Amino acid sequence: MQDILLKYMKLGYQYLVNHILAFLLIPTAIAVAVEILRSSPARWNSFAIDPIHLIFCSFLAVFIATVYFMSKPRSIYLVDYACYKPPVTCRVPFSTFMEHSRLILKDNPKSVDFQMRILERSGLGEETCLPPAIHYIPPTPTMDAARGEAETVIFSSIDSLMKSTGLKPKQIDILVVNCSLFSPTPSLSAMIVNKYKLRSNIKSYNLSGMGCSAGLISIDLARDLLQIHPNSNALVISTEIITPNYYKGSERAMLLPNCLFRMGGAAILLSNKRRDRSRAKYKLVHVVRTHKGADDKAYKCVYEQEDPQGKVGINLSKDLMVIAGEALKSNITTIGPLVLPASEQLLFLFTLIGRKIFNPKWKPYIPDFKQAFEHFCIHAGGRAVIDELQKNLQLSAEHVEASRMTLHRFGNTSSSSLWYELGYIEAKGRMKKGDRVWQIAFGSGFKCNSAVWKCNRTIKTTSDGPWQDCINTYPVHIPEIVKI
Amino acid sequence: MGEVTFICKRTVISTKAVEPGKFSPLSVLDRIMEGNHVRIVLYYNLPTRRRPGELTKRLRETISEALSAYPPVIGRLVRTPEGHWTVKCNDAGVRMVEAKVNGTVQEWLQNVDREKELMLVHWEEIYHKPYFWSTFYVQITEFECGGLAIGLSCSHMLSDPTSATMLIKVWADTTLGGQTAPAPVFRPLPTPPQQAAAANTTTNPTSIDHYKSGTGGGGGGACTPPPTSTITLQFSQESVARCVAAAGPHATPFDALTALLWTRIRRIRGAGPELSLSICFDARSVLGLESGFFGSCMVFNKVAGAGLSEDVAGAATAIREAGMDGDGVMEVIEWLERESEVRLDGGNNDVVCVNLESVGVYGAVFEGDAAPLRAACYVEPVGGAGKVLIMPAVEPGGRVAAVTLPEDEAKKLLEDTWVELQGVVPVVVMGLPKK
Repeated sequence: MQDILLKYMKLGYQYLVNHILAFLLIPTAIAVAVEILRSSPARWNSFAIDPIHLIFCSFLAVFIATVYFMSKPRSIYLVDYACYKPPVTCRVPFSTFMEHSRLILKDNPKSVDFQMRILERSGLGEETCLPPAIHYIPPTPTMDAARGEAETVIFSSIDSLMKSTGLKPKQIDILVVNCSLFSPTPSLSAMIVNKYKLRSNIKSYNLSGMGCSAGLISIDLARDLLQIHPNSNALVISTEIITPNYYKGSERAMLLPNCLFRMGGAAILLSNKRRDRSRAKYKLVHVVRTHKGADDKAYKCVYEQEDPQGKVGINLSKDLMVIAGEALKSNITTIGPLVLPASEQLLFLFTLIGRKIFNPKWKPYIPDFKQAFEHFCIHAGGRAVIDELQKNLQLSAEHVEASRMTLHRFGNTSSSSLWYELGYIEAKGRMKKGDRVWQIAFGSGFKCNSAVWKCNRTIKTTSDGPWQDCINTYPVHIPEIVKI
Repeated sequence: MGEVTFICKRTVISTKAVEPGKFSPLSVLDRIMEGNHVRIVLYYNLPTRRRPGELTKRLRETISEALSAYPPVIGRLVRTPEGHWTVKCNDAGVRMVEAKVNGTVQEWLQNVDREKELMLVHWEEIYHKPYFWSTFYVQITEFECGGLAIGLSCSHMLSDPTSATMLIKVWADTTLGGQTAPAPVFRPLPTPPQQAAAANTTTNPTSIDHYKSGTGGGGGGACTPPPTSTITLQFSQESVARCVAAAGPHATPFDALTALLWTRIRRIRGAGPELSLSICFDARSVLGLESGFFGSCMVFNKVAGAGLSEDVAGAATAIREAGMDGDGVMEVIEWLERESEVRLDGGNNDVVCVNLESVGVYGAVFEGDAAPLRAACYVEPVGGAGKVLIMPAVEPGGRVAAVTLPEDEAKKLLEDTWVELQGVVPVVVMGLPKK
């Protein structure tokens, strides 16, 4: 009984605060209208309006309206995106992975056991894919093989995107590519310009070294460019090339990426053109970037270095989850005021004041982000990341389903995982017009980046996309430990 | 000319994920072949010229698809609580080796010998940790001037030549894209009827002689066997017909050719009546198993050498009588289930003749209508006195005999003038290594 009462009180409070303007204006308007009607027609003449005043007021109104519309930032739309689906012949079942690990690391059985324990608890499934060069015994990560993987992943994604949007290569004005660990010369963006014969005045950018959160950094960069260039579109490619980064040594802290990182990529088309407004899937509302690199511990927590044998790998420190939590808190503090409804912000403010003035022992109020968003896309960095965020943001299992299922089916595809998750939500038919999506990515640096999208039109489930052949088997229950 | 260059080794998985926790048990006929392995090589001359590596890539994709129907092939060996081998279907895949050879297929076939041929089919002996040991190996060798060699090797515990050939055929059908062969069947052997279990004395004494002599346990014989060579003799359709006519009524080509070769080997060795013969045949048809039955189904039977005449007809009759019917095979299976320590690892001293007449090696067509030019089959290790494999030839009605003997005996066999039976003169398609 108490609970139900509390619930209705809470709902009433929220409705009141969120629609406060309506509650104030409507009675006032009614009062004014009643007053005008009641007053005698004689009084109306005393309200004679001077023609000069009328012209001046209308001029002012037009002036203010013009300044407002000119300084409003352009709306950026996401027309469509395409995710890469690796061929099923690149599949790596757990037993094959462990067998290769055992054959290659035959002098380090402890490292092999460590990898097995990681894989058992990783939340990955049996259908994640590694590039062909890693299937060899021993793996042959040559530059040619890395370029081959880049070409396959990126060109397939772009071809898919061009087919679904009707985009022609010569129409691309801005190109942003992000791939953290593989940065050849000429760059991957030059590779795309060469393959598709893009225009010579294209604005191309290649972001490397920026980690798993670079996808949203690319979106931010594309957005800023689209503010300057009217009537343009931007092609954003987010991927991670696995071939050159397979760690060949035996240090445990550096073997983790081998177990979790898998092949994947996404191509996204952004536009500020008026005619794309009706056919675009999403509108970009906010991008919030938080960089904790000023703190030494955060800076070193994901660190590429050589192991004692001279083999290069990425070292993940033990405080990764703690640092991720801190970065998330920072990001939330910035994004909260932008997206949360007034009711939640007030509650947070009251609790904050209360803690400062009355009693520091009050629990800090965690705003309910479920009221701000319908869908959440949490970077599928690993099971621990998703668990931690689910706990911190008090999300239900359905909210994190897209992240968990993406981790299961595709593994950690780094910056493109957010797009696979969005694809999952669409494939399940859950995306309706007006729904708000929150994409959160973490990456080396240590950075936490968020993007907020608003769905522009209800998205029908289609027969293409990376989930089309397996969406009906999802969601699956992922056990805590899978026995290999 | 004719140099094999190794390109790479990798693991090929199936396109469909295997449900975890499944096991495929091995029957007694499977387990008895522990330590033995089968190697098959098929040669093709292909109509269309492609870029190097292009065909290998396509074959890799199609074998992944074909392997979806064979969970035990992509599984690994584990021990049951009773200590027997069984296959855990853990979706680990098979090893694939890619190689290339300069020259054409014809040039290779003119100069090939056993050692060179075995370079076209990769094999690895069982590891210290069998759980990481692949039981199947596939090798794709592209000939630079056009042509292809497909090599498949596998542990005899999981597959005999019949099943291995069936796997290659399914792979070929998947590549060709047309209708596929029937799906493989993985199931236990039929169980013998219960009432015969009590009476031990009713077992036919000779049918288990070969098995008894094979209980080597551990190291085989006391001395190392002499170096052996393999030569391949091809008998044309007329030669086979004449041999069958000389072998007496009801003789099959296998009976006739085995008798012929046995009498020759006996003469060369000067062994006389002490040299005995064992035949090995595929028991699928007598047991009434479906053609898709996958596993090892080879049964051995000893043919007594004592008291037999020198001529082909007499030998052929003895060989035919050594063939077993369904009940005979069941008795052998029953006996084997009681004696769990028997292993056939080549420790005995018989010449073993393997009947591969029903193995359809030439049915695997990967492209167009290019059937294999030639097929070779090895069942290793060859122990004791030697081994003969009788297979069909490309020419309908013809036969190919792959004879493995100690080196000097093989040399003498090649020099034999075959005067005894007129018109039955084989063509030597693979001779001794040229020093």
